[in-house]
Amino acid sequence: LLLPIVSSLNEEGKALMSIKESFSNVANVLLDWDDVHNEDFCSWRGVLCGNFSMSVVALNLSNLNLGGEISPAIGDLKNLQSIDLQGNKLTGQIPDEIGNCISLIFLDLSDNLLFGDIPFSISKLKQLELLNLKNNQLTGPIPSTLTQIPNLKTLDLARNQLIGEIPRLIYWNEVLQYLGLRGNLLTGTLSPDMCQLTGLWFFDVRGNNLSGTIPDNIGNCTSFEILDISYNQITGEIPYNIGFLQVATLSLQGNRLTGKIPEVIGLMQALAVLDLSENELVGPIPPIFGNLSYTGKLYLHGNKLTGPIPAELGNMSKLSYLQLNDNQLVGQIPPELGKLDQLFELNLANNKLEGPIPENISSCTALNQFNVHGNNLNGSIPAGFKNLESLTYLNLSLNKFKGHIPSALGRIINLDTLDLSNNEFSGSVPGSIGDLEHLLTLNLSSNRLNGQIPVEFGNLKSIQTLDLSCNKISGGIPKELGQLQTLITLTLTANDLSGVIPDQLTNCFSLTSLNISYNNFSGVVPLSRNFSRFTPDSFVGNPLLCGDWRGSICDPYAPK
Amino acid sequence: RVLIQRRLSGPGSSPPTCRSKCGRCSPCKPVRVSIQPGFSFTLEYYPEAWRCKCGNNLFMP
Repeated sequence: LLLPIVSSLNEEGKALMSIKESFSNVANVLLDWDDVHNEDFCSWRGVLCGNFSMSVVALNLSNLNLGGEISPAIGDLKNLQSIDLQGNKLTGQIPDEIGNCISLIFLDLSDNLLFGDIPFSISKLKQLELLNLKNNQLTGPIPSTLTQIPNLKTLDLARNQLIGEIPRLIYWNEVLQYLGLRGNLLTGTLSPDMCQLTGLWFFDVRGNNLSGTIPDNIGNCTSFEILDISYNQITGEIPYNIGFLQVATLSLQGNRLTGKIPEVIGLMQALAVLDLSENELVGPIPPIFGNLSYTGKLYLHGNKLTGPIPAELGNMSKLSYLQLNDNQLVGQIPPELGKLDQLFELNLANNKLEGPIPENISSCTALNQFNVHGNNLNGSIPAGFKNLESLTYLNLSLNKFKGHIPSALGRIINLDTLDLSNNEFSGSVPGSIGDLEHLLTLNLSSNRLNGQIPVEFGNLKSIQTLDLSCNKISGGIPKELGQLQTLITLTLTANDLSGVIPDQLTNCFSLTSLNISYNNFSGVVPLSRNFSRFTPDSFVGNPLLCGDWRGSICDPYAPK
Repeated sequence: RVLIQRRLSGPGSSPPTCRSKCGRCSPCKPVRVSIQPGFSFTLEYYPEAWRCKCGNNLFMP
């Protein structure tokens, strides 16, 4: 005779067992959820009961790799104040029954795989202060009934697939402090009502499909500290009224904003981050931006800005990121930028700048990335550049720089990219470049360099891309290049190189792209190892070179 | 001069003064802090906000 095991758990205990049943991957993490051996569910992992009752008040099962679904039985835990299931792999829908947990204050289901709609029943949770559903696969609209939760302080629905408009009623909430809606598929416009959120500090709708203009009254949102409406389809001009905002971060990038940058932004000294990049803004950079002496990040790239770089930007003493690239800026690089001793990244690429790089830039000793690609700059590389010891990225390509490549560049030991291509540099390549042991990319192509390939290049132990094409470099390929185990691309096209291809190059086992065409190489192309990958295109234009292709001096296809 | 007049009548902002925002702790200085808005695999920067700092403690301005 088999007696059924009758569990003596109460309703809440049974609810917990149902919850466990609908989870998967529980074997190791919910070992003690065992109604046979331990009926005291208040002692179970992640279960917290009230002080004087045997009633569950909190369920904390975050980051346990739980799979399966959230059981509707969760609605039987009437005294729950906190549910934290974030960071699992829960799937299925959020059960409607969650609306029965009427004592809930804190509900965090973020970072799971939940799908389906946000249940309307959540609006029955009148005590709820935090609702975090970010990073799931929720679909459908934002329920407008969420506005019926009187104490909601944090609403984070970011990174789901929510559609429809942001319910206007949501803005009439004086309690809400945090509204995170980034990374959804929301449409419609920004409502002037958003400034009714008088207690809100964080407003983030980045990466949706919102259209229309920035509301004219935007400056009324005086409680906002962070305003991020980037990567939408916002059109029109930036309203003057924006100058009344008190924000620390203003992110308007990746929209279709037109017109000029309002000068009034230069009065917003609380700005720590100002990002107006990737829009269609025209006109000059307002010199009054020099007034922004607390701003650390200024991004204006990818617009249609004209005029010079204001010397006043040199007064933005806290600036660490300055990106003005991909505009139509003219004039010279102001020497005043040399005052920016915290500057980490300076990107002026793809403008119409002319004149030399001011020697003062060498004073920006915190500089990590310097990019002036694609301008009309001339002169030589400032001698002081050797002091920029933090540089990892130096790109002077596609300008009119001339003179010798300074030997001292070899002292900028952290460089991973050195691109001097498409300039008028002359003289020989200094052997000291071989000291740059962290260099991944070295591009000296399309200059007027002569002399030989330094044997020291064999010391470039991290190099992946080496391009010396379209110069007047002579001599042979140093056999030391055979030591370059990380080299993927070697381009020596269109020089005056000669001699035999050293057999040692067959040791460069990462080498997948080789081009030594249009030189004066002779001898026989090695056949072994990596060289079996290379087609005749790699060797064309070397009349004295013998290889396995039609027209070669030792043409294997020629009629015998 | 036009802009200065405007400033008196409204637009513009400053970092918080943090005067008496750190309780009894001093000195109380404004600092920029990064706010992480969500799980992100990209290298994009985080938005920043001002907080008042004293020692290792942060306070709302």
